[in-house]
Amino acid sequence: MSYPIASSLLDGIVLAVVERESTYGYRITQDVQEVLEISESTLYPVLRRLQKDGCLTTYDEAYAGRNRRYYKITEHGRAQLRQHRIDWQNYRNGIDAIFFGGDSQ
Amino acid sequence: MNRTEYMAALRRALSVLPEEERASALRYYEEYFDDAGPENEAKVIADLGAPDKVAAQILADYQEVASVPQPDGTVPNSKPRRRGINPWLLLVLVLLAIPVGIPLVGVLIGVIATLFGVLLSVVLVVLAFVVIVPLCLLAAGVILCGISFVLWGMPASAVMTLGCGLALFALGILVSLLMIKLCTLFVPPLFRAFVAVLRWPIDKIRGRTRKNGGESK
Repeated sequence: MSYPIASSLLDGIVLAVVERESTYGYRITQDVQEVLEISESTLYPVLRRLQKDGCLTTYDEAYAGRNRRYYKITEHGRAQLRQHRIDWQNYRNGIDAIFFGGDSQ
Repeated sequence: MNRTEYMAALRRALSVLPEEERASALRYYEEYFDDAGPENEAKVIADLGAPDKVAAQILADYQEVASVPQPDGTVPNSKPRRRGINPWLLLVLVLLAIPVGIPLVGVLIGVIATLFGVLLSVVLVVLAFVVIVPLCLLAAGVILCGISFVLWGMPASAVMTLGCGLALFALGILVSLLMIKLCTLFVPPLFRAFVAVLRWPIDKIRGRTRKNGGESK
């Protein structure tokens, strides 16, 4: 069974993937798909939005005779990601407490 | 459907977007095909799903982003542009609307003029009442006092007339004070309400243009 993924969670996931290393659209999709069932067309709007919000910037790098667009996390993006991590921790602790009871923190 | 056809369909489905947005999305999916490799072309097309659906996701998100003001400097090279109806389509619509529009505008102007006339007459009646009643009372008081001086031959009548005149004068002063009080109580709120009604459509229009300005980033 799978849970629907909230768009804020997806933002956090994409930020975390890009934080590890600057990377490009296809790779990001592959990386996220390893752990989540998302459609191939889900990530472009997320990347574009994060870019507009100033969380990500892009730069082009030559690859195999063409330009490939890489996404890079910004300082603002890192701050957002820190907040996502805190929010997720709280969320997970809450669910864990209900699922497994008591102080499972 | 092959890659070229897929991208052409996507381009068509994204045609309502500003050029820069569309180019960005198309470039992303071109690269997506490139990175997946030609051997995976069919798989990518199957995985992505119908171009219309892909476009719908982009459009839905674009509308959300566009309605939120972005921090400055995040989107270089963006020019102000209007979103929504194609200007040419708008022109055609306006031209088509003229035969219907002119009579409608006439009716609208008539209605507004009538409302304005009614409002004006109400204001004038109220004003007349507020000003004329106390003035008449004061004037009657003064006149009666004047007459009483002529009547000194019959002291009783003279004193009575003078008394009535003074009483009316006093009543006039009281009513004047009452009217002034009523005016200070009711005129400013009424005036404010009137101004608010007049300003409402103007603010509506201004608010919209301001929002459009925000969307231009």
